This record gives sequence, C-alpha cells and structure tokens, in this order.
Amino acid sequence: MPKRILEDIHAFLRGFGGAFKHQSTEYIEFEARELENVFALVIMGSFVGIPSPPTTLVVRLMPHMVREMYVMQQRAVDMDDIFGEIAGMFDID
Amino acid sequence: MKEFLLPKENFRTVFVIGKGGVGKTTTSAALAVALAKKGYKTLIVSLDPAHNLGDVFMTKLSDKPKMLTENLYASELDMEKLIKSYLKHLENNLKNMYRYLTVINLEKYFEVLSFSPGIEEYATLEAVRNILLEGDQWDIIVFDTPPTGLTLRVLALPKISLIWADKLIEIRKKILERRRMVAKIQGDQKFVLEGQEFTLPKDEEEDPVMKELRKYREEVKFVEDVITDPEKTSVIAVMNPEMLPFYETQRAYESLKKFRVPFNMIVVNKVITVEREIPEIKVKLDAQEKVLGEIEREFRGIEIIEVPMFPQEPRGLEWLEKLGGMILEG
Repeated sequence: MPKRILEDIHAFLRGFGGAFKHQSTEYIEFEARELENVFALVIMGSFVGIPSPPTTLVVRLMPHMVREMYVMQQRAVDMDDIFGEIAGMFDID
Repeated sequence: MKEFLLPKENFRTVFVIGKGGVGKTTTSAALAVALAKKGYKTLIVSLDPAHNLGDVFMTKLSDKPKMLTENLYASELDMEKLIKSYLKHLENNLKNMYRYLTVINLEKYFEVLSFSPGIEEYATLEAVRNILLEGDQWDIIVFDTPPTGLTLRVLALPKISLIWADKLIEIRKKILERRRMVAKIQGDQKFVLEGQEFTLPKDEEEDPVMKELRKYREEVKFVEDVITDPEKTSVIAVMNPEMLPFYETQRAYESLKKFRVPFNMIVVNKVITVEREIPEIKVKLDAQEKVLGEIEREFRGIEIIEVPMFPQEPRGLEWLEKLGGMILEG
C-alpha cells in the first residue's frame, strides 16, 4: 500500500514537472515554429508572389523541408484563429 | 604587354563583353590566338547561344575543348543541352526524394521549366563554375559571352545568391538554436508524419537543410572569389564608335563596379580612318569623333584601344593573330 502511494506521488510530481517543462518552452517552441514557417515561406515565395531565392537553391533545399512544409500547412489551417493561439499562450480566456 | 591579361595566380579568366554585333567573338578569338602565340596555354569558350566562334576560326567546335594550334584550345557550350542536363539533374534529385511524385508525370512539368525565367543564367553560371573548377589546366581562359544583358546578370548572380544563402543560413541558425533550447529541457523532439517518426535535427552538422545551404554557399563563393579578384579576372568591353554601344558600355561599367568585378579595357572596334575627306561619310565620321571623345572623358584610367575597320572580315588564324597583337600590345 505505501508503495502505491509513493508511486502516485511520483507520477503526480512527474506530471507537475512535465507541465512546468512544457510551459517553460512553450514560447520558444512557438517561435521556432513561426521561424520554420517563415523559412518555408521565403523558399516558396514565388507561390505567393514574393521574390524567391535562386531556383537552384530552392530545388536543392526542397527535399529536406518536409517538416517546414508541414508547419506551413498547419499555419494555413490555424490562420483564422491565430489570435486564439496567442491568447491561449498568454493564459487569456 | 597588358599586365591584366597575364596569369598571376594559377590562371587568368578574361570575360569579353559587349552589345550584340560589335565584334566580341572576333576580339576574344584574336586575343586567345595572340596569347597562345606568346606561349600561354589558352582556352577560349563561347557562352553565346548564337555560336559563331567556330565561324571565326573556320572550324567546327563542340563542348569539349578542341586543339586548334599549339597552346590554343576552343569550345562552344551548347546552352540548350546544358539547360536540359541541368534540369535532368534537378529532376533526378527531386524524384529520389519524392518517389510518389513519379505518378504525376514530372517530365511534362520539367519540359516547361526549361523556358522558365532565369534558368539560362543559372545554367550559364553552372557552366562557368565547372570550367573554373578545372581552371588549373590552363594559363588563360577567355570567355566569349552572350550580349551584355545576360552576361551582366550571370556575373551578378554569385553575389545575389550569396546574399540569399546568408539570409537563409541566418534564419536556419535561429531555428536550430531554438530547437536546441527546447531539446535541453524536453529531450529530443519527435515529429510524426504519416506514421513515420522523425527526430528533429537540432545541430548544424546534422541538419540536412543547413548542410545543403552551406554547400551551396561554398560553391557560389568559389565563383564569386574568382570573378572579383583582379589578380584572376579581367573584363574587356568591346564596342563600336557609336552612341548606343557607348551607353551600353557605360551601364555595364557601372553595374560591374557595383558587383566588384574588375573592368580593365575597352576595345573600340571598327573605327573608320580615311586619308582624304569623303563628303558622303562626313556625318558618320563626325559622330565617331564625338563618341571617341566621350569615351576618353568617361572612362579615365581604363585602357582604351582603337581597332580600325578592316577591308575584310578578320577570319582565320593569320588575321586573328594580327588583330590580337594589336589588342595585346596596344
């Protein structure tokens, strides 16, 4: 029985720590995602009408940009509620 | 002898530029012949899609250097073939990465790409790079270029590409830096895509995007270093004693200055000299006089050479050697 209580306490603390950990990196993660989005946008600028880097460079980078494209796509989906996400990050209900 | 035409470190690259029809090909061929005669192992390459280098030498040329006389080699780059092989290379690259794309008939798309804006400049730059990479085989490489517009864009390309690469490297660094911060607290970040799990690269050495960016930067930097080094590169502009070529040379001079490509000499080709007055061409001669005066004024400190209009077109090695001697010795 005491062993179970200890395990519970352990799990509780782990969850607590995890939440803290998550909160502490939340802004950095958001920033990183946003930078990935910008990076992809710059590379694929010609699709949205902004000047793009040399074609050679674009074609050479594209195969390695799965993650960026995914983020960009996700951004497009979330676009209608971008304020919602930022508000959530700052704990505004 | 003109110092800026002789090899100092390893090899010397000479770009002959100018408006269409002023005699770039003849001038560059003459120069190559004269330099070869002096004992320098010289390669002359025509980048001009119009291809008349072979006509000047009165022989057939291909994209492999062909020996014409002792020390003189010539080749004509087939731009269409180059663009095709450049695109083929890109296509294979893409196909390897996105196997599923083969279903949607990528070939058709790439056929259209060969007409996409800018592709010719990239292919030309790639060709120049490949020749420069093997530059040590020669003492002097003379490039007979396409008309000014395209050439200036090609010469500007390394600098522009460098700016782009640097900007992208900067953003990439920021991304990786943030990934490292997160990984320090959360451990390696995973990313799941269609059931497959990837670990997000966080170090510059393991990030394929960064590696590709750095590799590209290095490649472009090599060309940029060669064409902006006065010890390695010289640009010769060819023009006729008329107003339009003069304006074009002026513009070329300005933009080359901006990209720090050394501009050394102007060859004024087809200057008409008459011993007695001919009233029928007086207007033409007056105009020529005016342009020659303008050139002297405008391009101070740059070597100017006047080449007279010959009674017949300078073709064949003998003629070229005579003309080349005039340019080389001034």
